[in-house]
Amino acid sequence: MGFQKFARGTAAMALVLGAATAAQAEPLKIALVETLSGPQASTGLLYRDAVKYQLSKINEAGGFGGAPIELLEFDNQGGPVGAADRVRAAISEGADIILQGSSSAVAGQVTEDVRKYNLRNAGNEVLYVNLGGEAMELTGAKCHYYHFRTTPNAAIRVNTIMDGMQEAGVLGERIYAMNQNYSWGIDVQDNTVEAAGRLGVEVVETTLHDVNKIQDFSPYVQRIQAADADTVITGNWSNDLLLLMKATSGAGLDVRFGTAFLDQPGNIGNAGAVAEGHFLSTTFNPEVNPEESAVFMEDYKAFTGHYPSYVEPTAVFGMMLLGEALKSVEPTEDGLNAADLAVALENARVETPMGPVYIRAEDHQIVQSMIVQEVSRDAKYKSDDTEFGFVPIKVIAAEDAEQPVQDSCKMKRPG
Amino acid sequence: MDQILFALLNGTIYGLLLFMVSAGLTLIFGMMGVLNFAHASFYMLGAYFAYTLQPLTGFWLAIILAPILVMGVGILVERFILRHVHEHGHAHELLVTFGLSVVIAEMIKMVYGKFAVDYRVPAELNFAAFSLSGIDYPFYRLFMGGIAVVMFIAIYLLLTKTRVGIVVRSAIYRPQMVEALGHNVPMVFMGVFGIGAALAGLAGAVAGAFYTTNPNMALELGVMVFVVVVVGGLGSMGGAMAASLLIGITNSLAVGSDFRIADILTWIGMGGWADEVGGLLTMRMSSLAATLPFFIMLLVLVLRPSGLMGEKE
Repeated sequence: MGFQKFARGTAAMALVLGAATAAQAEPLKIALVETLSGPQASTGLLYRDAVKYQLSKINEAGGFGGAPIELLEFDNQGGPVGAADRVRAAISEGADIILQGSSSAVAGQVTEDVRKYNLRNAGNEVLYVNLGGEAMELTGAKCHYYHFRTTPNAAIRVNTIMDGMQEAGVLGERIYAMNQNYSWGIDVQDNTVEAAGRLGVEVVETTLHDVNKIQDFSPYVQRIQAADADTVITGNWSNDLLLLMKATSGAGLDVRFGTAFLDQPGNIGNAGAVAEGHFLSTTFNPEVNPEESAVFMEDYKAFTGHYPSYVEPTAVFGMMLLGEALKSVEPTEDGLNAADLAVALENARVETPMGPVYIRAEDHQIVQSMIVQEVSRDAKYKSDDTEFGFVPIKVIAAEDAEQPVQDSCKMKRPG
Repeated sequence: MDQILFALLNGTIYGLLLFMVSAGLTLIFGMMGVLNFAHASFYMLGAYFAYTLQPLTGFWLAIILAPILVMGVGILVERFILRHVHEHGHAHELLVTFGLSVVIAEMIKMVYGKFAVDYRVPAELNFAAFSLSGIDYPFYRLFMGGIAVVMFIAIYLLLTKTRVGIVVRSAIYRPQMVEALGHNVPMVFMGVFGIGAALAGLAGAVAGAFYTTNPNMALELGVMVFVVVVVGGLGSMGGAMAASLLIGITNSLAVGSDFRIADILTWIGMGGWADEVGGLLTMRMSSLAATLPFFIMLLVLVLRPSGLMGEKE
């Protein structure tokens, strides 16, 4: 390990030195504006791992314009205010691409800042790759030409999970939508109601609650019981998901959860058998296309020290797409022209272990396959050193997972 | 009816948990005038210590040893950090304890990782105490409530019925006088700080298994604990108990309620207008539940700044 690290370091160094003498153009700078400190940093640091991993691949393949791409890191401290500040700093330090993932609230701020900056600096635009903000408005009312979402959105998550559960025969007739009271949670709730109508099941109750403030979920569990629900569809993440599941199991309720973020590290370890039988819809499962997936799993582990899970595969796939697009862009004398990259991204298409991914030109939403999976003892890769892991139940192909473009997206294309 | 009964029971148990943590905070404030920002960190330390000890000693011994370890940490903090800062005034104490809470959180992340650890209720305690209209009531919740009640009675008796209690209480009001009478006041301070920390540690060791043990648990509970102490009155043990129960129960009842301000307006024939306006008027009580404690705090601060049972202004 020690030697490998040394060797890798030396190789990288040589690459940097070699490139510095060879190339004339400024190296391309990509800024990661993430939550790197504070309570929500755990997710932000995973994004950083994923970005670094895929960026190292891009640089191994030659970087951009013959020079390795430089990654600048900015800590947005978890909030929109910090993010606005960091985005300004990133741009003034010469970043042409901004990456950000955790929290739709932060993503909403970043995308607006980038849009306004581009309005004022025509010809010198920056491009925002949204690795993880899944609220609908980001490709809806707030959509713009320089925003690219490389993660599913609320509509994709909810529709795939409900379709998958329906097909597996576990959705039941009575659905409870329990969500966090902000853009993402509200979107999940709205989409649950819509999807229920399509599938002919009933949403018996909807609840929005405060985000990551509640310790004791038992009063909410009581509502689930009173509503006599079969299934709870929830966009909750982190503690809000964990505590809700534990409280439900403690009350002896026999309901199944359909979730978007059950694979966050620590969740399965903490919930243990409580999580068994619950569902998740996300972009990756190592048991799908096992040969290529295993290569990805091991390679990622060799680089970061852990198997990819939660937001990491999605972010890696997004970065793959970005790398592919960069290949077809010619550097100009001031480096990268963001307008060229935007065109390239709209046309890029890469094969991930889970199938093809590409950007839809109308609203810049990624189109990719989704894997509906269940927590089970039979999983090949176990989570958090427990006996449980995720087994794929249904793979929904990219075209089938796709959801219609929102009417609210009025994208102004250049020219 | 069952619904309300459950809501009351849930609220009471949650309130008792809040009390376990805030008891130490209010004790320390009442005694030493130190608003200890790191108090919730002791709660977190208790949970992590118990998690670490559990495989070695078993659950029962772990929840006894963890608070003792936390007490040790508390004593060290008082002796080697707070005592030196004390003479510089409250602002410095506040800053030191705030810094300490950050340091503890970061150290926990370094040792145990950034995510929740698998500290769980042991299987032998994981059963339903009783069942009411289809909902099981976990025994462990009653167990947590029981510990809090025993703790309250023990502290109350210690403070009011024993010689130690007399010294402690008098040291709160007239430290110089008590010192003049030959009591070692710094020693008393150290003891109170240690016990306050141990109480939070016990709460963490017990509650960490039921909720989650993660590096954010101090932050999540910390704010609520401060609200409890302010509402109850800084330094008042009875006030902390009353405020904890008040906040626990209102929270639990609010979650179960679909009440909206628009519903009141309907009585005077303005329901349609309110629905049209929307916003705050049509917000359901249940989605505001976690905000209510802050609203209560605001009310108390406006109407009775010293808190429900506080004596110090």
